[in-house]
Amino acid sequence: MGKKLSTPRLTTIYSFLLPGILVYAFIVFIPLLLSIYFSFYKWNGGLSKDFIGFHNYSQLIRDAKFWFSFRNNMIITVLSIVGQLGIAFVLAVILQAKWVRLREFHRTVLFLPVVLPAVVVGFIWNLIYSQNYGILNGVLKGLHLQSWIHPWLDDPKIVIYSVTIPIIWQWIGLYLIIFMASLQSIPSEVYESAEMDGATGVKKVWFITLPMMRDTLGVAVMLCISGNMKIFDNIFVMTGGGPGISSTVMAQYAYNTSFGQFKLGYGSAISIGMIIISLGLILLSRRLMGGRSVEP
Amino acid sequence: MNRKGAITSVKAVFNALIAAFSVLCIFPILWVMYSSLKTQQQFSVNILSLPTSFHFQNYVTAFWNGKLYRYLGNSAFVSATSVVLTILIGFITGYFLSRFSFKGRNVLYTMFLFGMLVPVYGLLVPLFIEYRNLHLLDHRLSLVLPEVTFALPLVIFLIESFMKSIPIEMEEAAYVDGASLVSTLFRIVFPMCRPVLSTCIIISFLNIWNEFPFALILINTQELKTIPVGLTNFVGQYTVNYPQLMAGIVVSILPVILVYLLLYKRIIQGMVAGAVKG
Repeated sequence: MGKKLSTPRLTTIYSFLLPGILVYAFIVFIPLLLSIYFSFYKWNGGLSKDFIGFHNYSQLIRDAKFWFSFRNNMIITVLSIVGQLGIAFVLAVILQAKWVRLREFHRTVLFLPVVLPAVVVGFIWNLIYSQNYGILNGVLKGLHLQSWIHPWLDDPKIVIYSVTIPIIWQWIGLYLIIFMASLQSIPSEVYESAEMDGATGVKKVWFITLPMMRDTLGVAVMLCISGNMKIFDNIFVMTGGGPGISSTVMAQYAYNTSFGQFKLGYGSAISIGMIIISLGLILLSRRLMGGRSVEP
Repeated sequence: MNRKGAITSVKAVFNALIAAFSVLCIFPILWVMYSSLKTQQQFSVNILSLPTSFHFQNYVTAFWNGKLYRYLGNSAFVSATSVVLTILIGFITGYFLSRFSFKGRNVLYTMFLFGMLVPVYGLLVPLFIEYRNLHLLDHRLSLVLPEVTFALPLVIFLIESFMKSIPIEMEEAAYVDGASLVSTLFRIVFPMCRPVLSTCIIISFLNIWNEFPFALILINTQELKTIPVGLTNFVGQYTVNYPQLMAGIVVSILPVILVYLLLYKRIIQGMVAGAVKG
Protein backbone atom coordinates (compact mmCIF):
# COMPACT_ATOMS: atom_id res chain seq x y z
CA MET A 1 0.00 0.00 0.00
CA GLY A 2 2.69 2.44 -0.99
CA LYS A 3 3.85 5.14 1.32
CA LYS A 4 3.21 5.56 4.98
CA LEU A 5 2.90 8.62 7.13
CA SER A 6 5.81 9.30 9.40
CA THR A 7 5.10 7.09 12.35
CA PRO A 8 4.36 8.66 15.74
CA ARG A 9 6.12 7.40 18.83
CA LEU A 10 5.23 3.89 19.89
CA THR A 11 3.85 5.10 23.21
CA THR A 12 1.56 7.54 21.38
CA ILE A 13 0.28 4.78 19.12
CA TYR A 14 -0.38 2.44 21.99
CA SER A 15 -2.12 5.05 24.08
CA PHE A 16 -4.61 5.45 21.24
CA LEU A 17 -4.99 1.70 20.83
CA LEU A 18 -5.31 1.12 24.55
CA PRO A 19 -9.13 1.32 24.82
CA GLY A 20 -9.59 -1.36 22.17
CA ILE A 21 -6.97 -3.61 23.71
CA LEU A 22 -8.39 -3.19 27.21
CA VAL A 23 -11.95 -3.95 26.17
CA TYR A 24 -10.73 -7.01 24.34
CA ALA A 25 -8.67 -8.20 27.26
CA PHE A 26 -11.56 -7.69 29.64
CA ILE A 27 -14.20 -9.45 27.55
CA VAL A 28 -12.19 -12.14 25.76
CA PHE A 29 -8.82 -12.93 27.31
CA ILE A 30 -9.39 -12.59 31.04
CA PRO A 31 -12.60 -14.64 30.95
CA LEU A 32 -10.81 -17.29 28.91
CA LEU A 33 -7.98 -17.46 31.44
CA LEU A 34 -10.47 -17.52 34.30
CA SER A 35 -12.38 -20.36 32.79
CA ILE A 36 -9.20 -22.33 32.16
CA TYR A 37 -8.47 -21.81 35.85
CA PHE A 38 -11.94 -22.86 36.98
CA SER A 39 -11.97 -25.83 34.63
CA PHE A 40 -9.49 -27.47 37.03
CA TYR A 41 -11.93 -27.20 39.93
CA LYS A 42 -15.11 -28.80 41.01
CA TRP A 43 -17.11 -25.70 41.69
CA ASN A 44 -20.81 -24.98 41.90
CA GLY A 45 -20.50 -21.23 42.15
CA GLY A 46 -20.31 -21.13 45.92
CA LEU A 47 -17.42 -20.16 48.16
CA SER A 48 -15.78 -23.56 48.32
CA LYS A 49 -14.17 -25.24 45.36
CA ASP A 50 -12.01 -28.36 45.08
CA PHE A 51 -8.97 -28.63 42.89
CA ILE A 52 -9.39 -31.76 40.79
CA GLY A 53 -6.72 -31.32 38.12
CA PHE A 54 -7.68 -32.64 34.72
CA HIS A 55 -10.65 -34.55 36.04
CA ASN A 56 -13.19 -32.27 34.31
CA TYR A 57 -11.43 -32.81 31.01
CA SER A 58 -11.20 -36.57 31.35
CA GLN A 59 -14.88 -36.53 32.24
CA LEU A 60 -15.58 -34.36 29.20
CA ILE A 61 -13.83 -36.79 26.88
CA ARG A 62 -16.01 -39.61 28.20
CA ASP A 63 -19.18 -37.51 28.40
CA ALA A 64 -21.66 -39.11 26.00
CA LYS A 65 -24.02 -36.12 26.24
CA PHE A 66 -21.30 -33.71 25.20
CA TRP A 67 -20.39 -35.79 22.16
CA PHE A 68 -24.04 -36.21 21.35
CA SER A 69 -24.44 -32.43 21.28
CA PHE A 70 -21.30 -32.14 19.19
CA ARG A 71 -22.83 -34.67 16.82
CA ASN A 72 -25.90 -32.45 16.60
CA ASN A 73 -23.70 -29.47 15.73
CA MET A 74 -22.13 -31.58 13.01
CA ILE A 75 -25.48 -32.71 11.61
CA ILE A 76 -26.63 -29.10 11.45
CA THR A 77 -23.35 -28.05 9.86
CA VAL A 78 -23.42 -30.72 7.16
CA LEU A 79 -27.07 -30.08 6.35
CA SER A 80 -26.35 -26.35 6.22
CA ILE A 81 -23.39 -26.77 3.92
CA VAL A 82 -25.52 -28.85 1.57
CA GLY A 83 -28.75 -26.87 2.00
CA GLN A 84 -27.59 -23.29 2.40
CA LEU A 85 -24.65 -23.34 0.05
CA GLY A 86 -26.37 -25.61 -2.46
CA ILE A 87 -29.58 -23.61 -2.68
CA ALA A 88 -27.73 -20.30 -2.53
CA PHE A 89 -25.44 -21.38 -5.36
CA VAL A 90 -28.29 -22.47 -7.63
CA LEU A 91 -30.25 -19.29 -6.91
CA ALA A 92 -27.17 -17.13 -7.48
CA VAL A 93 -26.48 -18.73 -10.87
CA ILE A 94 -30.11 -18.26 -11.93
CA LEU A 95 -30.23 -14.68 -10.65
CA GLN A 96 -27.21 -13.90 -12.80
CA ALA A 97 -29.30 -14.32 -15.93
CA LYS A 98 -30.53 -11.10 -17.50
CA TRP A 99 -34.00 -12.49 -18.21
CA VAL A 100 -34.89 -13.11 -14.57
CA ARG A 101 -37.63 -10.71 -13.55
CA LEU A 102 -37.51 -8.57 -10.41
CA ARG A 103 -33.90 -9.46 -9.59
CA GLU A 104 -33.45 -6.58 -7.16
CA PHE A 105 -36.66 -7.54 -5.40
CA HIS A 106 -35.64 -11.19 -5.05
CA ARG A 107 -32.23 -10.23 -3.72
CA THR A 108 -33.73 -7.94 -1.09
CA VAL A 109 -36.37 -10.42 -0.01
CA LEU A 110 -34.00 -13.40 0.15
CA PHE A 111 -31.59 -11.44 2.33
CA LEU A 112 -34.25 -10.17 4.75
CA PRO A 113 -34.18 -13.15 7.16
CA VAL A 114 -30.44 -12.59 7.70
CA VAL A 115 -31.10 -9.37 9.61
CA LEU A 116 -33.83 -10.81 11.84
CA PRO A 117 -32.91 -11.79 15.40
CA ALA A 118 -32.33 -15.56 15.55
CA VAL A 119 -34.71 -15.67 18.51
CA VAL A 120 -37.52 -14.30 16.38
CA VAL A 121 -36.73 -16.75 13.59
CA GLY A 122 -37.10 -19.48 16.20
CA PHE A 123 -40.47 -18.15 17.33
CA ILE A 124 -41.77 -17.76 13.79
CA TRP A 125 -40.87 -21.36 13.05
CA ASN A 126 -42.43 -22.50 16.31
CA LEU A 127 -45.64 -21.06 14.93
CA ILE A 128 -45.10 -22.68 11.53
CA TYR A 129 -44.49 -26.09 13.13
CA SER A 130 -47.30 -25.78 15.64
CA GLN A 131 -49.45 -28.90 15.91
CA ASN A 132 -52.90 -27.38 15.47
CA TYR A 133 -52.34 -23.84 14.23
CA GLY A 134 -49.14 -24.13 12.23
CA ILE A 135 -48.86 -23.36 8.52
CA LEU A 136 -46.99 -26.58 7.82
CA ASN A 137 -49.61 -28.96 9.15
CA GLY A 138 -52.29 -26.69 7.70
CA VAL A 139 -50.80 -26.98 4.22
CA LEU A 140 -50.37 -30.74 4.59
CA LYS A 141 -54.00 -31.05 5.62
CA GLY A 142 -55.02 -28.95 2.64
CA LEU A 143 -53.11 -31.30 0.34
CA HIS A 144 -54.79 -34.32 1.97
CA LEU A 145 -51.45 -35.55 3.26
CA GLN A 146 -52.72 -36.15 6.81
CA SER A 147 -50.32 -39.05 7.22
CA TRP A 148 -47.38 -36.61 6.90
CA ILE A 149 -48.53 -34.51 9.80
CA HIS A 150 -46.02 -34.72 12.63
CA PRO A 151 -45.34 -33.22 16.01
CA TRP A 152 -42.32 -31.61 14.34
CA LEU A 153 -40.63 -30.37 17.47
CA ASP A 154 -41.72 -33.13 19.85
CA ASP A 155 -40.56 -36.21 18.00
CA PRO A 156 -36.99 -37.00 19.16
CA LYS A 157 -36.27 -38.78 15.89
CA ILE A 158 -36.84 -35.80 13.63
CA VAL A 159 -36.45 -32.80 15.90
CA ILE A 160 -32.84 -32.14 14.96
CA TYR A 161 -33.90 -31.80 11.32
CA SER A 162 -36.86 -29.62 12.26
CA VAL A 163 -34.57 -27.16 14.05
CA THR A 164 -32.08 -27.17 11.17
CA ILE A 165 -34.57 -25.97 8.57
CA PRO A 166 -35.03 -22.51 10.15
CA ILE A 167 -31.26 -22.14 10.32
CA ILE A 168 -30.94 -22.94 6.63
CA TRP A 169 -33.89 -20.68 5.87
CA GLN A 170 -32.36 -17.74 7.71
CA TRP A 171 -28.90 -17.79 6.15
CA ILE A 172 -29.44 -18.67 2.47
CA GLY A 173 -29.53 -14.94 1.70
CA LEU A 174 -26.05 -14.28 3.05
CA TYR A 175 -24.44 -16.95 0.88
CA LEU A 176 -26.56 -15.93 -2.08
CA ILE A 177 -25.13 -12.42 -1.96
CA ILE A 178 -21.58 -13.68 -1.42
CA PHE A 179 -21.91 -15.99 -4.43
CA MET A 180 -23.50 -13.30 -6.59
CA ALA A 181 -20.61 -10.95 -5.87
CA SER A 182 -18.15 -13.67 -6.77
CA LEU A 183 -20.03 -14.61 -9.97
CA GLN A 184 -19.91 -11.03 -11.15
CA SER A 185 -16.14 -11.06 -10.92
CA ILE A 186 -15.81 -13.91 -13.43
CA PRO A 187 -14.90 -12.23 -16.74
CA SER A 188 -17.51 -12.78 -19.43
CA GLU A 189 -14.82 -13.63 -22.01
CA VAL A 190 -14.30 -16.93 -20.23
CA TYR A 191 -17.90 -17.90 -20.89
CA GLU A 192 -17.81 -16.60 -24.45
CA SER A 193 -14.83 -18.73 -25.40
CA ALA A 194 -16.44 -21.72 -23.70
CA GLU A 195 -19.57 -21.16 -25.72
CA MET A 196 -17.51 -21.16 -28.89
CA ASP A 197 -16.21 -24.54 -27.82
CA GLY A 198 -19.81 -25.66 -27.55
CA ALA A 199 -20.32 -25.58 -23.78
CA THR A 200 -23.86 -24.88 -22.63
CA GLY A 201 -25.97 -24.50 -19.47
CA VAL A 202 -24.99 -27.03 -16.86
CA LYS A 203 -21.62 -27.70 -18.51
CA LYS A 204 -20.67 -24.05 -18.21
CA VAL A 205 -21.57 -24.05 -14.53
CA TRP A 206 -19.68 -27.27 -13.85
CA PHE A 207 -16.51 -26.58 -15.81
CA ILE A 208 -16.19 -22.82 -15.43
CA THR A 209 -18.30 -21.30 -12.68
CA LEU A 210 -17.50 -23.85 -9.98
CA PRO A 211 -13.71 -23.92 -10.48
CA MET A 212 -13.59 -20.12 -10.77
CA MET A 213 -15.47 -19.80 -7.47
CA ARG A 214 -13.29 -22.24 -5.58
CA ASP A 215 -11.95 -19.66 -3.14
CA THR A 216 -15.35 -18.19 -2.43
CA LEU A 217 -16.81 -21.63 -1.84
CA GLY A 218 -13.98 -22.30 0.60
CA VAL A 219 -14.75 -19.14 2.53
CA ALA A 220 -18.45 -20.00 2.53
CA VAL A 221 -17.83 -23.49 3.91
CA MET A 222 -15.68 -22.02 6.65
CA LEU A 223 -18.33 -19.44 7.53
CA CYS A 224 -20.90 -22.19 7.63
CA ILE A 225 -18.80 -24.26 10.01
CA SER A 226 -17.97 -21.39 12.35
CA GLY A 227 -21.58 -20.19 12.31
CA ASN A 228 -23.03 -23.58 13.12
CA MET A 229 -20.54 -24.47 15.84
CA LYS A 230 -21.94 -21.57 17.85
CA ILE A 231 -25.58 -22.13 17.07
CA PHE A 232 -27.74 -21.47 20.13
CA ASP A 233 -30.44 -18.78 20.00
CA ASN A 234 -33.04 -20.37 17.75
CA ILE A 235 -32.73 -23.84 19.24
CA PHE A 236 -32.90 -22.35 22.73
CA VAL A 237 -36.29 -20.80 22.01
CA MET A 238 -37.63 -23.63 19.83
CA THR A 239 -36.92 -26.69 21.94
CA GLY A 240 -34.45 -25.72 24.65
CA GLY A 241 -32.49 -28.73 23.43
CA GLY A 242 -35.34 -31.18 23.96
CA PRO A 243 -37.21 -33.41 23.97
CA GLY A 244 -34.70 -34.96 26.35
CA ILE A 245 -31.40 -34.00 24.83
CA SER A 246 -32.36 -34.84 21.26
CA SER A 247 -31.77 -31.31 19.88
CA THR A 248 -29.08 -30.17 22.32
CA VAL A 249 -26.07 -28.48 20.75
CA MET A 250 -22.73 -27.72 22.45
CA ALA A 251 -23.59 -24.16 23.48
CA GLN A 252 -26.91 -25.32 24.89
CA TYR A 253 -25.17 -28.12 26.81
CA ALA A 254 -22.66 -25.67 28.29
CA TYR A 255 -25.56 -23.39 29.20
CA ASN A 256 -27.60 -26.17 30.85
CA THR A 257 -24.62 -27.49 32.79
CA SER A 258 -23.57 -24.06 34.01
CA PHE A 259 -26.86 -22.31 34.61
CA GLY A 260 -29.27 -25.21 35.01
CA GLN A 261 -27.20 -27.37 37.34
CA PHE A 262 -24.76 -24.65 38.34
CA LYS A 263 -21.72 -26.82 37.72
CA LEU A 264 -19.52 -23.88 36.79
CA GLY A 265 -16.23 -25.80 36.89
CA TYR A 266 -17.45 -28.42 34.48
CA GLY A 267 -19.26 -25.76 32.43
CA SER A 268 -15.92 -23.99 32.00
CA ALA A 269 -14.32 -27.20 30.79
CA ILE A 270 -17.13 -27.65 28.26
CA SER A 271 -16.65 -24.08 27.04
CA ILE A 272 -12.93 -24.59 26.58
CA GLY A 273 -13.59 -27.89 24.81
CA MET A 274 -16.09 -26.16 22.54
CA ILE A 275 -13.66 -23.41 21.61
CA ILE A 276 -10.87 -25.89 20.86
CA ILE A 277 -13.14 -28.07 18.72
CA SER A 278 -14.55 -25.13 16.74
CA LEU A 279 -11.20 -23.50 16.11
CA GLY A 280 -9.76 -26.89 15.16
CA LEU A 281 -12.53 -27.50 12.64
CA ILE A 282 -12.20 -24.01 11.19
CA LEU A 283 -8.46 -24.38 10.76
CA LEU A 284 -8.90 -27.86 9.30
CA SER A 285 -11.43 -26.65 6.75
CA ARG A 286 -9.14 -23.79 5.88
CA ARG A 287 -6.31 -26.24 5.27
CA LEU A 288 -8.51 -28.58 3.21
CA MET A 289 -9.99 -25.81 1.13
CA GLY A 290 -6.58 -24.31 0.54
CA GLY A 291 -8.33 -21.01 1.08
CA ARG A 292 -6.42 -17.85 1.80
CA SER A 293 -5.39 -17.24 5.34
CA VAL A 294 -6.09 -13.96 7.08
CA GLU A 295 -3.30 -11.73 5.84
CA PRO A 296 -2.37 -8.88 8.13
CA MET B 1 -39.85 -22.74 -32.96
CA ASN B 2 -39.19 -25.86 -30.92
CA ARG B 3 -35.84 -24.76 -29.56
CA LYS B 4 -37.09 -21.28 -28.93
CA GLY B 5 -40.18 -22.63 -27.20
CA ALA B 6 -38.03 -24.87 -25.05
CA ILE B 7 -35.84 -21.96 -24.01
CA THR B 8 -38.87 -19.86 -23.14
CA SER B 9 -40.30 -22.58 -20.96
CA VAL B 10 -36.93 -23.15 -19.25
CA LYS B 11 -36.84 -19.45 -18.48
CA ALA B 12 -40.37 -19.61 -17.12
CA VAL B 13 -39.45 -22.54 -14.89
CA PHE B 14 -36.43 -20.72 -13.47
CA ASN B 15 -38.41 -17.54 -12.92
CA ALA B 16 -41.00 -19.56 -11.08
CA LEU B 17 -38.32 -21.28 -9.00
CA ILE B 18 -36.80 -18.01 -7.85
CA ALA B 19 -40.23 -16.59 -7.13
CA ALA B 20 -41.06 -19.68 -5.07
CA PHE B 21 -37.99 -19.17 -2.91
CA SER B 22 -38.76 -15.51 -2.41
CA VAL B 23 -42.25 -16.43 -1.30
CA LEU B 24 -40.82 -19.03 1.11
CA CYS B 25 -38.63 -16.32 2.61
CA ILE B 26 -41.17 -13.56 2.89
CA PHE B 27 -44.43 -15.39 3.48
CA PRO B 28 -43.79 -16.53 7.06
CA ILE B 29 -42.94 -12.94 7.98
CA LEU B 30 -46.01 -11.54 6.24
CA TRP B 31 -48.17 -14.26 7.77
CA VAL B 32 -47.04 -13.22 11.25
CA MET B 33 -47.68 -9.57 10.39
CA TYR B 34 -51.22 -9.86 9.09
CA SER B 35 -52.29 -12.57 11.54
CA SER B 36 -51.24 -10.29 14.38
CA LEU B 37 -54.25 -8.13 13.51
CA LYS B 38 -56.78 -10.92 13.98
CA THR B 39 -58.60 -11.95 17.10
CA GLN B 40 -57.78 -15.34 18.50
CA GLN B 41 -61.10 -16.64 17.34
CA GLN B 42 -60.68 -15.40 13.76
CA PHE B 43 -57.27 -17.00 13.72
CA SER B 44 -58.43 -20.40 14.92
CA VAL B 45 -61.16 -20.54 12.28
CA ASN B 46 -58.70 -20.13 9.43
CA ILE B 47 -55.00 -19.73 10.11
CA LEU B 48 -54.14 -18.49 6.61
CA SER B 49 -56.95 -16.06 5.79
CA LEU B 50 -56.39 -12.31 5.79
CA PRO B 51 -57.93 -10.39 8.67
CA THR B 52 -61.39 -9.03 7.90
CA SER B 53 -61.13 -6.28 10.48
CA PHE B 54 -58.10 -4.81 12.18
CA HIS B 55 -57.76 -5.83 15.77
CA PHE B 56 -55.15 -3.40 17.10
CA GLN B 57 -55.83 -4.42 20.69
CA ASN B 58 -53.10 -7.08 20.33
CA TYR B 59 -50.57 -4.33 19.87
CA VAL B 60 -51.76 -2.32 22.83
CA THR B 61 -51.56 -5.43 24.99
CA ALA B 62 -48.13 -6.39 23.72
CA PHE B 63 -46.73 -2.93 24.12
CA TRP B 64 -48.14 -2.06 27.56
CA ASN B 65 -49.30 -5.19 29.40
CA GLY B 66 -46.51 -7.27 27.89
CA LYS B 67 -44.03 -4.53 28.89
CA LEU B 68 -42.42 -4.58 25.46
CA TYR B 69 -42.04 -0.79 25.62
CA ARG B 70 -39.61 -1.25 28.48
CA TYR B 71 -37.53 -3.87 26.67
CA LEU B 72 -37.48 -1.70 23.56
CA GLY B 73 -36.25 1.22 25.63
CA ASN B 74 -33.51 -0.90 27.20
CA SER B 75 -32.45 -2.21 23.81
CA ALA B 76 -32.35 1.32 22.43
CA PHE B 77 -30.17 2.45 25.34
CA VAL B 78 -27.76 -0.50 25.15
CA SER B 79 -27.56 -0.27 21.35
CA ALA B 80 -26.98 3.47 21.26
CA THR B 81 -24.30 3.43 23.95
CA SER B 82 -22.55 0.41 22.47
CA VAL B 83 -22.67 1.70 18.91
CA VAL B 84 -21.11 5.04 19.88
CA LEU B 85 -18.29 3.30 21.76
CA THR B 86 -17.80 0.74 19.01
CA ILE B 87 -17.49 3.40 16.34
CA LEU B 88 -15.12 5.52 18.41
CA ILE B 89 -12.80 2.67 19.36
CA GLY B 90 -13.14 0.96 15.99
CA PHE B 91 -12.38 4.13 14.07
CA ILE B 92 -9.24 4.94 16.04
CA THR B 93 -8.00 1.34 16.02
CA GLY B 94 -8.74 0.87 12.32
CA TYR B 95 -6.98 4.12 11.50
CA PHE B 96 -3.79 3.26 13.36
CA LEU B 97 -3.71 -0.28 12.03
CA SER B 98 -4.00 0.88 8.43
CA ARG B 99 -1.83 4.02 8.45
CA PHE B 100 1.17 3.09 10.54
CA SER B 101 3.50 0.16 10.72
CA PHE B 102 4.74 -0.37 14.23
CA LYS B 103 5.91 -3.06 16.55
CA GLY B 104 3.10 -5.43 17.42
CA ARG B 105 0.80 -4.22 14.65
CA ASN B 106 0.34 -7.65 13.06
CA VAL B 107 -0.25 -9.32 16.39
CA LEU B 108 -2.96 -6.79 17.20
CA TYR B 109 -4.54 -7.12 13.77
CA THR B 110 -4.69 -10.89 14.10
CA MET B 111 -6.05 -10.55 17.63
CA PHE B 112 -8.94 -8.39 16.50
CA LEU B 113 -9.75 -10.63 13.56
CA PHE B 114 -9.53 -13.63 15.85
CA GLY B 115 -12.54 -12.09 17.55
CA MET B 116 -14.56 -12.81 14.42
CA LEU B 117 -13.57 -16.46 14.44
CA VAL B 118 -13.61 -17.41 18.10
CA PRO B 119 -16.95 -19.02 18.87
CA VAL B 120 -18.26 -16.30 21.14
CA TYR B 121 -20.68 -18.65 22.81
CA GLY B 122 -17.70 -20.38 24.36
CA LEU B 123 -17.30 -17.15 26.31
CA LEU B 124 -20.78 -17.30 27.87
CA VAL B 125 -19.78 -19.17 30.99
CA PRO B 126 -16.33 -17.54 31.37
CA LEU B 127 -17.76 -14.05 31.05
CA PHE B 128 -20.54 -14.82 33.48
CA ILE B 129 -17.97 -15.98 36.06
CA GLU B 130 -15.87 -12.85 35.59
CA TYR B 131 -18.89 -10.55 35.83
CA ARG B 132 -20.15 -12.31 38.92
CA ASN B 133 -16.83 -12.06 40.71
CA LEU B 134 -16.60 -8.37 39.93
CA HIS B 135 -20.27 -7.74 40.79
CA LEU B 136 -20.98 -6.37 37.34
CA LEU B 137 -24.05 -8.48 36.64
CA ASP B 138 -27.48 -6.99 36.26
CA HIS B 139 -26.67 -3.38 35.58
CA ARG B 140 -27.94 -1.06 32.88
CA LEU B 141 -24.41 -0.95 31.47
CA SER B 142 -23.52 -4.63 31.92
CA LEU B 143 -24.10 -5.46 28.29
CA VAL B 144 -22.23 -2.56 26.77
CA LEU B 145 -18.67 -3.90 26.81
CA PRO B 146 -19.51 -7.40 25.49
CA GLU B 147 -21.58 -5.88 22.69
CA VAL B 148 -18.76 -3.50 21.81
CA THR B 149 -16.25 -6.33 21.76
CA PHE B 150 -18.26 -8.51 19.41
CA ALA B 151 -19.09 -5.61 17.11
CA LEU B 152 -15.53 -4.27 17.00
CA PRO B 153 -13.77 -6.70 14.64
CA LEU B 154 -16.10 -5.97 11.72
CA VAL B 155 -15.88 -2.21 12.26
CA ILE B 156 -12.09 -2.27 12.56
CA PHE B 157 -11.85 -4.33 9.43
CA LEU B 158 -14.22 -2.16 7.38
CA ILE B 159 -12.46 1.03 8.44
CA GLU B 160 -9.02 -0.42 7.94
CA SER B 161 -9.78 -1.45 4.38
CA PHE B 162 -11.59 1.80 3.61
CA MET B 163 -8.58 3.81 4.76
CA LYS B 164 -6.48 2.07 2.14
CA SER B 165 -8.66 3.64 -0.53
CA ILE B 166 -8.32 7.25 0.60
CA PRO B 167 -5.17 9.18 -0.29
CA ILE B 168 -2.69 9.99 2.40
CA GLU B 169 -1.99 13.55 1.14
CA MET B 170 -4.71 15.29 3.15
CA GLU B 171 -3.32 14.00 6.40
CA GLU B 172 0.21 14.83 5.35
CA ALA B 173 -0.80 18.38 4.57
CA ALA B 174 -2.49 18.69 7.94
CA TYR B 175 0.58 17.46 9.76
CA VAL B 176 2.80 19.81 7.77
CA ASP B 177 0.53 22.66 8.84
CA GLY B 178 1.19 21.61 12.39
CA ALA B 179 -2.15 19.99 13.21
CA SER B 180 -2.03 17.52 16.08
CA LEU B 181 -2.77 13.83 15.69
CA VAL B 182 -6.09 14.15 17.48
CA SER B 183 -7.36 17.08 15.46
CA THR B 184 -6.25 15.47 12.18
CA LEU B 185 -7.99 12.30 13.21
CA PHE B 186 -11.32 13.91 14.03
CA ARG B 187 -11.38 17.04 11.85
CA ILE B 188 -10.01 15.52 8.66
CA VAL B 189 -10.07 11.73 8.61
CA PHE B 190 -13.36 11.18 10.43
CA PRO B 191 -15.44 13.23 7.95
CA MET B 192 -13.76 11.49 5.02
CA CYS B 193 -14.79 8.12 6.45
CA ARG B 194 -18.46 9.08 6.63
CA PRO B 195 -19.71 6.49 4.10
CA VAL B 196 -17.98 3.56 5.75
CA LEU B 197 -18.84 4.85 9.21
CA SER B 198 -22.53 4.84 8.41
CA THR B 199 -22.29 1.25 7.18
CA CYS B 200 -20.51 0.39 10.44
CA ILE B 201 -23.19 2.10 12.51
CA ILE B 202 -26.04 0.28 10.80
CA ILE B 203 -24.49 -3.17 10.96
CA SER B 204 -23.31 -2.85 14.56
CA PHE B 205 -26.74 -1.58 15.49
CA LEU B 206 -28.42 -4.62 13.90
CA ASN B 207 -26.05 -7.09 15.55
CA ILE B 208 -26.32 -5.47 18.96
CA TRP B 209 -30.10 -5.09 18.78
CA ASN B 210 -30.43 -8.80 17.94
CA GLU B 211 -27.87 -10.16 20.40
CA PHE B 212 -29.38 -12.79 22.67
CA PRO B 213 -27.15 -15.13 24.72
CA PHE B 214 -25.13 -12.52 26.61
CA ALA B 215 -28.23 -10.49 27.32
CA LEU B 216 -29.75 -13.71 28.64
CA ILE B 217 -27.07 -14.54 31.18
CA LEU B 218 -25.74 -11.13 32.24
CA ILE B 219 -29.10 -9.52 33.02
CA ASN B 220 -31.53 -10.97 35.47
CA THR B 221 -33.76 -8.08 36.50
CA GLN B 222 -36.97 -7.88 34.51
CA GLU B 223 -36.68 -4.08 34.27
CA LEU B 224 -33.30 -4.21 32.52
CA LYS B 225 -33.87 -6.90 29.91
CA THR B 226 -33.38 -6.18 26.22
CA ILE B 227 -35.93 -7.00 23.56
CA PRO B 228 -34.79 -10.49 22.43
CA VAL B 229 -34.80 -11.76 26.02
CA GLY B 230 -37.88 -9.75 26.94
CA LEU B 231 -39.69 -11.24 23.98
CA THR B 232 -39.02 -14.77 25.24
CA ASN B 233 -40.66 -13.78 28.53
CA PHE B 234 -43.58 -12.30 26.68
CA VAL B 235 -43.99 -15.43 24.57
CA GLY B 236 -43.89 -17.51 27.73
CA GLN B 237 -46.84 -15.53 29.09
CA TYR B 238 -49.06 -15.69 26.04
CA THR B 239 -48.33 -19.14 24.60
CA VAL B 240 -51.93 -19.92 23.77
CA ASN B 241 -52.94 -16.67 22.11
CA TYR B 242 -51.23 -16.80 18.73
CA PRO B 243 -52.23 -13.43 17.25
CA GLN B 244 -51.13 -11.84 20.51
CA LEU B 245 -47.74 -13.54 20.25
CA MET B 246 -47.43 -12.42 16.67
CA ALA B 247 -48.11 -8.81 17.63
CA GLY B 248 -45.25 -9.06 20.13
CA ILE B 249 -42.96 -10.49 17.48
CA VAL B 250 -43.86 -7.71 15.05
CA VAL B 251 -43.23 -5.01 17.65
CA SER B 252 -39.79 -6.42 18.37
CA ILE B 253 -38.67 -6.72 14.75
CA LEU B 254 -40.25 -3.57 13.37
CA PRO B 255 -37.18 -1.38 14.05
CA VAL B 256 -34.92 -3.93 12.37
CA ILE B 257 -37.18 -4.30 9.34
CA LEU B 258 -37.53 -0.53 8.90
CA VAL B 259 -33.77 -0.04 9.06
CA TYR B 260 -33.32 -2.85 6.57
CA LEU B 261 -35.88 -1.57 4.07
CA LEU B 262 -34.41 1.92 4.19
CA LEU B 263 -30.77 0.92 3.94
CA TYR B 264 -30.64 -2.59 2.52
CA LYS B 265 -27.99 -1.83 -0.10
CA ARG B 266 -25.51 -0.67 2.52
CA ILE B 267 -26.35 -3.49 4.90
CA ILE B 268 -25.92 -6.21 2.29
CA GLN B 269 -22.67 -4.73 1.06
CA GLY B 270 -21.16 -4.31 4.53
CA MET B 271 -22.23 -7.68 5.88
CA VAL B 272 -20.84 -9.50 2.88
CA ALA B 273 -17.52 -7.67 3.09
CA GLY B 274 -17.28 -8.55 6.77
CA ALA B 275 -18.36 -12.15 6.32
CA VAL B 276 -15.86 -12.86 3.58
CA LYS B 277 -13.06 -11.41 5.67
CA GLY B 278 -13.95 -13.48 8.72
